[in-house]
Amino acid sequence: MMRPAEGVRHRWLPRFGGVLAFAATELRVQLHEALAIFTSMVVQVVLLVFVAILAPSYFGIALLGAIVFSAFSLGQRVLNEAAYIRVDHKLNELYLASPLTPEAYFLGIAVGVFLAYLPPVVGLVVIAEAVLRFPVVTALLLAGLVLAVWLFAASMGYILSTAFHDMRAIWSYASLLYNLFGVLPPVFYPLGLWPAGLRPVALLLPPSAAAALLQNSLDPGLLAPPEIALAAGAVGVAAFGLFLITVYWARRSAQER
Amino acid sequence: MPNEPLLAEDVRKVYAPRRGPRIDALNGVSMSVHRGERVALLGRNGAGKTTFLKIAATLLAPTSGRVEVFGHDVGRAADLVRPEIAVVPQEGKPFFHLTPREQVYTYLRSRGMSREVAHDRGERALAAMELAEVADRLAITLSGGQKQRTMVATVIATGAPLLFLDEPTIGMDPFARRGVWQSLRDLTREGSTILLTTHYLDEAEALADRLYIVERGRVLVEGTAATLKQEVGGTLRVTVPQGARLTETLRTFGRVVPDGDTVHVIVDPGRLTEILGIAVRERLTATVGPVTLEEAFLRVVGRSIDDEAG
Ligand SMILES: Nc1ncnc2c1ncn2[C@@H]1O[C@H](COP(=O)(O)OP(=O)(O)OP(=O)(O)O)[C@@H](O)[C@H]1O
Ligand SMILES: [Mg+2]
Repeated sequence: MMRPAEGVRHRWLPRFGGVLAFAATELRVQLHEALAIFTSMVVQVVLLVFVAILAPSYFGIALLGAIVFSAFSLGQRVLNEAAYIRVDHKLNELYLASPLTPEAYFLGIAVGVFLAYLPPVVGLVVIAEAVLRFPVVTALLLAGLVLAVWLFAASMGYILSTAFHDMRAIWSYASLLYNLFGVLPPVFYPLGLWPAGLRPVALLLPPSAAAALLQNSLDPGLLAPPEIALAAGAVGVAAFGLFLITVYWARRSAQER
Repeated sequence: MPNEPLLAEDVRKVYAPRRGPRIDALNGVSMSVHRGERVALLGRNGAGKTTFLKIAATLLAPTSGRVEVFGHDVGRAADLVRPEIAVVPQEGKPFFHLTPREQVYTYLRSRGMSREVAHDRGERALAAMELAEVADRLAITLSGGQKQRTMVATVIATGAPLLFLDEPTIGMDPFARRGVWQSLRDLTREGSTILLTTHYLDEAEALADRLYIVERGRVLVEGTAATLKQEVGGTLRVTVPQGARLTETLRTFGRVVPDGDTVHVIVDPGRLTEILGIAVRERLTATVGPVTLEEAFLRVVGRSIDDEAG
């Protein structure tokens, strides 16, 4: 066998070298579970049906909310996936003791899962566009918010995943999180129906902040300028701040203590 | 890279679990592995082998002590260590929804190898682990040993300068184990260095240039299989079934190991005819074989257990 004289190193963007190759691995793994990709839409579809029956006039808002919710739950899958790879397969050891950096490992899982579960979300976007006929600005805002909410949830998922030593406990935490972030606050329903006194809370939680920004873009004036700044700031800081913390945490937790 | 592949000095590890008492897993382990060597870490369950391997592979922080891989500290310079190593984790399993071919290839790609090199090296490793027949089946459909072979194939395909293999041949049949031995010999011939653990002492003897026996987080002895076997007190073992009644006589020839009604005597070749003569006179059969590393292991570790017990 030929072999390199030294270990192979990633040359291009070394800290994130190998992300795409590892993401492709994850994508491939996920695609074998095609049924799970469809069932990932169950909560959204059920809530949309509720809204369509109970308050048809909010259906458009609920559609946008369903997209935001999907971005959140898509990111949150990293919790389950990263814990499974580590606890059940010990493959974290295979990948972390290699030129793939810990942050590339984290991002590889996140991107792979993202790509696998993206198609039904795109379907939702197409339906939303057909129903709402929203302008390009809203579409761009939507794309940016989806990425930010996903990054937030994926980062949170990865950090939490490192706390688990067996898989049994995870599902209850996962359901707690998506209910707390995605179902309870005004994601599927208008911000105006949420208690006025708690409005800042809704504007600080990334999914409901993203939903509020989208609702505002359809119905300008819904948010006061400081509220727009608060919501946009919350989403941005939560996504990129937590991402940076996760990069740090991925490096730190790669070497158990 | 002029530095030693692995150098460890006085490594200690205390696990402090959230519940339960603290565990002193390593109590001052020092060892070195030279370039191109195959070194085996032996020891009873819980002796600290996996703990040491994980520390050396940057996956676990030592409580104190120093570990360097090619001159880089595994804690402070983990980023410089990781490109040089590859690990077969104890109880690791391949992705169930990848085939062995995909597992090996995508792993090499994620390590930064080009498509051609990854393909080439992957195919060779699959062939070496005799996985060709099952290379396109999802890992979830493979037998236990085939899954383990996939893990080993994934890691040997890297040809990394330093490989850590934690019980790499567990669950493998004798043919597959020999396949692993051959691949590991090929790797060291090409310049890689290997540290492995195993509970199969024939494997350690066949494969390792040097051995460390660890017990309760300490290195008990270090040496080649031949030097360790000297600990047993002779180079041949005479086994006398139904020889229990001769125990006292046989004791004058060397160390006696009772085993039910059977007696094993460890002797030097010079006294062989004499002892066989006694067996013939007593109308008993006797078989002669070389002392095994397993006997040396039992002796060395057993003595340590006795000492510990006071
Ligand atoms: N994560 C952990 N938390 C607490 N204690 C641990 C942990 N991992 C290992 N230990 C303890 O540390 C000691 C050494 O364990 P280690 O896994 O290194 O043994 P080993 O030599 O690899 O054993 P085996 O041959 O069974 O694989 C044991 O007493 C074990 O119980
Ligand atoms: Mg072990």
